[in-house]
Amino acid sequence: MPRYMLLLHSDPANWRNLSPEEMQKAIEKYTAWVKKSVDSQRLTEDAGKVIRRQGGQTRATDGPYSETKEILGGYYTIEAANYDEAVKLALSHPHLDYGGTIEVRQVWAM
Amino acid sequence: MSASPETGLLLEHLFRHQAGRMVAHFTRLFGPSNLDLAEETVQEAMLRALQTWPYQGVPENAAAWLFRVGHNAAIDAVRRKQLLGEKTEAMVAELSRSAIVLPGDPDVEEQLRDDELRMIFMCCHPEISRDASVALSLKTVGGFGVREIARAFLADDTAIAQRLVRAKRLIRTQRLTLEMPQGPELKRRLDSVLDVIYFMFNEGYAAHEGADLIRQDLCLEALRLGHLVAASSIAEPRVHALVALMALQAARLAARVDQAGDLVLLESQDRSRWDPQLTAVGFHHFNQSMSGDEVSEFHVQAAIAATHARAANSQDTDWSVILNLYDQLLSLNPSPVVALNRAVAVSKVYGAAQGLAAIEPLESESKLRDYYLFLAVRGHLLMELGRLPEAAVALRAAIECPCSEPERRFLKRKLDSCQTEPQDQ
Repeated sequence: MPRYMLLLHSDPANWRNLSPEEMQKAIEKYTAWVKKSVDSQRLTEDAGKVIRRQGGQTRATDGPYSETKEILGGYYTIEAANYDEAVKLALSHPHLDYGGTIEVRQVWAM
Repeated sequence: MSASPETGLLLEHLFRHQAGRMVAHFTRLFGPSNLDLAEETVQEAMLRALQTWPYQGVPENAAAWLFRVGHNAAIDAVRRKQLLGEKTEAMVAELSRSAIVLPGDPDVEEQLRDDELRMIFMCCHPEISRDASVALSLKTVGGFGVREIARAFLADDTAIAQRLVRAKRLIRTQRLTLEMPQGPELKRRLDSVLDVIYFMFNEGYAAHEGADLIRQDLCLEALRLGHLVAASSIAEPRVHALVALMALQAARLAARVDQAGDLVLLESQDRSRWDPQLTAVGFHHFNQSMSGDEVSEFHVQAAIAATHARAANSQDTDWSVILNLYDQLLSLNPSPVVALNRAVAVSKVYGAAQGLAAIEPLESESKLRDYYLFLAVRGHLLMELGRLPEAAVALRAAIECPCSEPERRFLKRKLDSCQTEPQDQ
């Protein structure tokens, strides 16, 4: 079966308004989703580095990656029959209820 | 406490309760004037959990993880903000030292309970208004969010946020400390703590849209704070009386609304739905409240709740005992609302006519004129006497008064039955 990566982007500011109780609820929902299907990986805590080559010079700048304040919070690798199936699974993730976005990418097996 | 039904991994309300004790803990370390820093530190620890656990899984000892990460966040924040000036490095050393000790250890638990207790006592300082004390207690020791507090009080988020800001400013400008007051001041402060807890409980207990769990949470938080004070060395018999009262009332929470979310009066409640564990807790504290000669209002109210709890069904209720207790309560607190409740007991013992006579003198009370319960009781007693047109007038007036939706639906049903019943019944 093809493998897919689900990349979870979010704006950390979204989380700041949650109460402790709501944070716990969020963790429980995420964990319950993972239990259903996935092998999960987490990225390190900082927003990462972006590497660019401009005018022959390679520069690594701090993330975020684009103009938004979003950071990549973590990713999961899943197996699915095809893209549609992978997207369907991603759509059931609570991340979307908390204002986050999920990027779905197919990973080619070596 | 039970584990969450969703994953079975985390204890119910773990974050809320840990937030409360962590805020109390860091406030002791940073000092009350840095309460904001304590709150930010705790939020940071919880945010990190939120950013890690969904991917790495929930750590085995979740509370200890939060505690440890909180200390690391505190060290970062103290260094970065330099709020503590020359004391910064000493504080960092203290934070590093206390990061090693873990919740669960009996000594640490005792220290944390003491931190929480001092925190409540500071939140209930007489310089702070009662409304602000309630909000501040819920926010700090309770671990509630601003939005949750606002929803529980049917208030605006910004109003609650402002109330909290003002209270914290007062803590700074008046230099309030976490020192326990001594001597007669301790008694006064304890009274104000009990008053705040009682108010918190009543706010949660007031019947509103049945399914709103936040209000039930408010009751249970008041009960938890009551337990905390009752378990401390400064507990007096009236503290146990208050805990008894709250536990006995909270035992009936589930039975107060039916499937449709409609109100079920005490006498029609399915008593098998009363929580036997809370009832047992209630009686336990009621017995403890009996040591000493003190008879507070909480004692009498707890005795009334206990009399109800003892009756296996509503017919077995010993109303003459309850009437005696209301007489006693009225002598301690001659308020029209107590007199109104007493009139209900009178009607149970001597009949509706006597009950009606007992509320007659209350009609001139301005406090009661627009109080829906006064008019509802009046309507109910008139109905029992078959004076239906007068009953309908009272019930219609009750419906016009401010009250919650389930209460209004209840009154409307009563009014309907009053208008359809044949006159000669």
